[in-house]
Amino acid sequence: MISLTEELTLLAVEDDGRIAYTAGSPNFAMALVGACIVDLNKAGRVDADLNGLNVLSREPIGLPAQDRVLDVIAAGPVQTVERWVLELQGDSPDLVRMTLAQLQQRGILHQAERRFLWALRARRYPIDDGGKEQKEAKLRILAALLSDGLPTPDDSMLIGLAVAGGLLEAFLSKSEIARLAERIAEIGGLDLVVRGVEAAIRADAEVRAHAIMLSIH
Amino acid sequence: MNVTHDTNHRITTIHAAGRLDFEAAGAFQKDLEQAVADAAAGGHALVLDCAELDYVSSAGLRVFLVGARAAKASSVPFAVYSLTAAVKEVFDVSGFGRIIDVLADRAGALEKVGRSA
Repeated sequence: MISLTEELTLLAVEDDGRIAYTAGSPNFAMALVGACIVDLNKAGRVDADLNGLNVLSREPIGLPAQDRVLDVIAAGPVQTVERWVLELQGDSPDLVRMTLAQLQQRGILHQAERRFLWALRARRYPIDDGGKEQKEAKLRILAALLSDGLPTPDDSMLIGLAVAGGLLEAFLSKSEIARLAERIAEIGGLDLVVRGVEAAIRADAEVRAHAIMLSIH
Repeated sequence: MNVTHDTNHRITTIHAAGRLDFEAAGAFQKDLEQAVADAAAGGHALVLDCAELDYVSSAGLRVFLVGARAAKASSVPFAVYSLTAAVKEVFDVSGFGRIIDVLADRAGALEKVGRSA
């Protein structure tokens, strides 16, 4: 079974193997850090409450991106999920690289380079085996959103982080997302870590908006 | 964490006390899933008394979702009542109040699950 961090990264891989432009956004960066924290929480390495993220064990879980996040959190002070997500968002490119390498190791995708304009090279990550894991993640999201039952915790967190990271747009139209908005708000991100990610995204947007306003004056 | 059960008049009550954190979550989840299965088999309603539950972490919170999901899937009437202030804040922040019936007291919970007090 693949981790939430791997599922979220797979959702950012487009059909032709390109990484979606949303993966370069601060929101995706923060959602990915949140996914690493959720994986660590499920593995019993950290646990979160409203006051902070507590380290239960420093023992690696064997997944490079999550273990990198664990190392940093274990070496730092106890602080809220929101604070950690804001601090670790700059590590996101490395976390994505590590997760893509992990997905390659599992045989879920492979790396390919393509030349265009004779000289420029673009790296792609075509998905293997018919994209089973990616399709499954998308189908689980759709099934949870279209049913009237309650989601599993894993599905709820995947939906919450996919929404936070701007990844639903990769496989749902804007009108479909608008139609499902109420259901997304009801069942997405029923979790303290995901709520921490959402709070970090709001705080980050406020800082950026403030900086823009200052530059205008 | 300490968990006790009692069943009267086709209402199973789970009394949860103490700290529901990662360490306690696994055992509590098994307990809750079994209680849902028993309630479904016996045609009972299930209410969760949280008056003495002092603390819920992110790992503990997921157990409520697992329990509520199992209850809904088995058509077992399910409600939670008497949240302490700390646990209520966790429910409010995480949005659980939108998907689980959370009542102020036992009478409200029994009314919600269709059983008179």
